[in-house]
Amino acid sequence: MRRKQPKIATDPVAFEAFYRRHVDAVTRFLARRVDDPHTVADLVAEVFIAVLDSAHTYRADLGTEIAWLYGVARNTISAERRRVYRQHQLSDRMNGRRQLAADDVARLEERIDAERDARKAFAAMEELPEGERAMLELVAIDQLTVTEAAHALGIRQGAAKVRLHRARQTLRNLSFVMDGAR
Amino acid sequence: MNFEEQLLMDLKTEIAARADRRRRLTRTRSVLGVAGMAAVAAIAVPLLTGTGTPAYAVSTNTDGTISVEINEFRDADKLEGDLKEAGVQADVSYVPIAKQCEPGRGEVVGGEPSTLEEFRDSMGYKAARVRTGGVDIDPRYVGQGQTLVMEFAENKESAEGGVITSRFKALVMTGPVEPCTLVDWDVTR
Repeated sequence: MRRKQPKIATDPVAFEAFYRRHVDAVTRFLARRVDDPHTVADLVAEVFIAVLDSAHTYRADLGTEIAWLYGVARNTISAERRRVYRQHQLSDRMNGRRQLAADDVARLEERIDAERDARKAFAAMEELPEGERAMLELVAIDQLTVTEAAHALGIRQGAAKVRLHRARQTLRNLSFVMDGAR
Repeated sequence: MNFEEQLLMDLKTEIAARADRRRRLTRTRSVLGVAGMAAVAAIAVPLLTGTGTPAYAVSTNTDGTISVEINEFRDADKLEGDLKEAGVQADVSYVPIAKQCEPGRGEVVGGEPSTLEEFRDSMGYKAARVRTGGVDIDPRYVGQGQTLVMEFAENKESAEGGVITSRFKALVMTGPVEPCTLVDWDVTR
């Protein structure tokens, strides 16, 4: 049985509105995790392709668009890491590497630079177990609410709170990470 | 144009391409769902769209497929020539609804399908998808030295109300293809 495709995957006008609402947030989300402008641009393309692929999983009544979108972006980026690990190239579904003008590169570098602290925080969080780290990332760094982060990770709110609590215990000393996590 | 705008354009193109693929898929599915007939898509939509002057029109799409709009069952030879120019060796037969080309006209790639499942897996099904008003052809499934053999039939009597029955058969054959000899239509053959 085919699931009905939501409008953002089928209607170019609805998609454009969605894209314009979120393209900046997605770019910053990626700039917090990757420090190369070309990879960021490629990943932005990958994330929105993944949006088309998985639009049927979005339920307006279950959470905000941004929480869902960050979930998609997280999956895309971990798929990307697996790919890099296997020394595979980025998929060429969207003409391979995005063509970037000098302006684009400069703008992306600014974004990447602005997210320097966030990337440091990621480094500090590396020792945490994956589930806890994911939760802390989304709440402290990406500024989602606990409910939204739970939705992005597809877990219950109770479980999300437990993970967050544990992560905070472990990282008590990292005040700049904790600021957003209260 | 900055990369965000360029990406938006690419994505909108992708959405359109996906919508197109979905439409084709859905149409063929419903067609086969209604028919349930071995090896032949019996279709419940009018194949002919009207009496526009040209019998047909061939256009090539950006994804490499070829769309044929069919207005009238004539000029099959000319259509074959145009299809060859568009990159696919084809044999086209327009037959009355009660007739069919005698089977066994050539060597069918993967064997002649005898069940609906086999038909859906067949090269002919991949290469040619019938729809209202014509057929979409994907030349990538017709190899060098192979011919896409298509047979069209439509019951014009029932075109006004009631069940409209059309028939379409597509096979990919290797090597020489015998000309169509009309025999009575028999679903078991």
